[in-house]
Amino acid sequence: MSEMRDEMLRTLDRIVEGTVTTAMREAADEKASGGGGGKADATKALWSALEEAGITAIGAGGEDDVAFADAMELVRRAGYHALPVPLGETIIARHMLARAGMEAPDGAITLAVPGAGDLPKAVNGGLEGAIRSVPYGATSAHAVVATDGMLHLAEISGALITRGTNMAGEPRDTLDLSQAKLVASAATDNAAAALEAEGALVRAVALSGALSACLDECLTWVNDRVQFGKPIAKHQAVQHLLAQLAEETAAAGAAADLAIEAAEAGPARFQIAIAKARVGEAAGKAANIAHATFGAMGFTREHILHYTTRRLWAWRNEFGSEVYWQAEIGRLVASRGGKQLWPLLNGEL
Amino acid sequence: MPHFAYEPVKMPPEAVKLRQEVRAFLADEIAKGGFAPAVGSMVEADEAFSQKLGAKGWLGMTWPKKYGGGERSSLERYVVVEELLAHGAPALAHWIAERQSGPQILRHGSERAKEMILPEIAAGRCYFAIGMSEPDTGSDLASVKTRAVKADGGWRITGRKVWTSFAHRAHYLIALVRTSGTADQRHFGLSQFIVDMKTPGITVRPIYNLYGGHDFNEVTFDDVFVADDMIVGGEGRGWEMVVSELAFERSGPDRFMSTYPLLVEAIDELGANPERLQAAEVGRAVANLATLRRMSASIAGMLNEGKSPVTEAALVKDLGTSLEQEIPEIVRRILPVEPRGVSSNNGYADLQQLSQMQCVSYSIRGGTREILRGMIARGLGLR
Repeated sequence: MSEMRDEMLRTLDRIVEGTVTTAMREAADEKASGGGGGKADATKALWSALEEAGITAIGAGGEDDVAFADAMELVRRAGYHALPVPLGETIIARHMLARAGMEAPDGAITLAVPGAGDLPKAVNGGLEGAIRSVPYGATSAHAVVATDGMLHLAEISGALITRGTNMAGEPRDTLDLSQAKLVASAATDNAAAALEAEGALVRAVALSGALSACLDECLTWVNDRVQFGKPIAKHQAVQHLLAQLAEETAAAGAAADLAIEAAEAGPARFQIAIAKARVGEAAGKAANIAHATFGAMGFTREHILHYTTRRLWAWRNEFGSEVYWQAEIGRLVASRGGKQLWPLLNGEL
Repeated sequence: MPHFAYEPVKMPPEAVKLRQEVRAFLADEIAKGGFAPAVGSMVEADEAFSQKLGAKGWLGMTWPKKYGGGERSSLERYVVVEELLAHGAPALAHWIAERQSGPQILRHGSERAKEMILPEIAAGRCYFAIGMSEPDTGSDLASVKTRAVKADGGWRITGRKVWTSFAHRAHYLIALVRTSGTADQRHFGLSQFIVDMKTPGITVRPIYNLYGGHDFNEVTFDDVFVADDMIVGGEGRGWEMVVSELAFERSGPDRFMSTYPLLVEAIDELGANPERLQAAEVGRAVANLATLRRMSASIAGMLNEGKSPVTEAALVKDLGTSLEQEIPEIVRRILPVEPRGVSSNNGYADLQQLSQMQCVSYSIRGGTREILRGMIARGLGLR
């Protein structure tokens, strides 16, 4: 692990410690009721601190840029902290733009990934089409958009149609791209598929961080909570639950690692599919174990567990659920035949 | 975070090259009719095949040359093991000897034991069994009652071992035996002996498994003599020896690839255009497999650096055997097992049914699921 990576991760931890409170998480949560949730400026201090530390500007390419693997560790840590800002989207967007030879603007950049059959069109120097579930679409200044064979950077501040949220109360907004301003374009093979895969990669990586957070929260709780005269950590049934959570966390970490490594070297749709499939499976199991561990307490709004577990449920659905990616892997494998699976797994095809 | 580290490992170029050599050899063997791919390389034993591997230099690869080894890396050995499993090769004969008995003797055996035994294992001619369990000793291994008493120049062993895989064809057995103290003194007073199976006083009785296969045995020792220099690790260090073996025993691809040949058959049976949920079931198995390979290779990397990642290995084994056991379930959800029509090829169905019956043992052998989860919980600081 590089010194630079350690330093960046420490910086991120310090920023989280200084700016992220439960009150802030609640204010940022678009699904919060009673607390007047969904205040757009709730996360301003967090985002400004990230900007000031240069964390939102990495991934632009160039000599002094942060290595891709290090950038992905930041995404993982942001997932660990369940940060209510589009940091992962911004980091991966900047990498995509740099690779496509486009200059990235400052500020938040989101990913506008089309649903099946809804590929936007590039027309007369502009764009046409609507995209649903754009992360932080209302508050991000820019988005990366795909059309047939082209990748675009668009300015989206006037393109909002409706606001929405995912299960974790994170903004997932619908954009009308005809109201967006095209900033730059570059020819890119299978642009929509590439954009979807990059989205799946950041979600898989962030999920692996969220699984670690889940395990940490559970470990603290089982050592503190006393029942039958001893910490519940001393009960074998609880120990075995947490062992399984540790297994899923370790598998998710390894699956994310294999996608990061492949994506650093080039197009990595197959490895990203493996990662999102495996991490998504782990996420569902982990959320179940965490809630079994915390009992009624973890089912309350006032407890912080749901900031992590609702993200596990939400993120495993986004940019393709585990079943979506499993089916893609399965179709690929079936089309090649059983004997070709082994060379495929060894990166020889 | 993270709680257990599986650092990425880069396969060295020689390992990548070796993979192709092993694959070409196996393809050639299959073409010549040397073997038909089977479920689990730990099922079919073929002495001639093991000797061919030995002649290729693919057994004992990491050991010093003076003991018949190849002084190659754990990652190269990992590649060979994976290729054998991926092709369902009949590699059972040498498996235990090469995986754990040999490394154990190399690290902790006497010079005589190393010189006499290791070159034979590396040649594919010498096979081992492991004598740990007893009639009253399963997961609670420290409760063994088989006893050795001091004799002139060695020890005399009396007692009984059960579930001893391959004892009926093995040349040696490494037995965990009490040399001092009593069963309630637990880990104290245990020692490991290398027992030559030809020694007078040993009786081997088969214990057939639920589908009629012969792997298990009951081994009875009646005043069996073992020389002093056939103790592994020294008198009273038996427990320590058992623990150090486990990272070798539990982390390898044989803990997640036993039913891989069934997955391959099922993919072919399914055809090129599966329905979405059929494809997803296959994809789930493949994603799990790819992840486990990475974790297991990471452990091979740690072993290469001389570490003993016992808890990390326990974790891989629990996840790995779960996948091995799930594959027969996955394939029966997506394909009928009951034969349809006289012309249908039953290769897939036969393999499914054998796997189904065999795979219940995977989460027992080499440490039960419950023991492994206890170890992981200890690693998490819960016990």
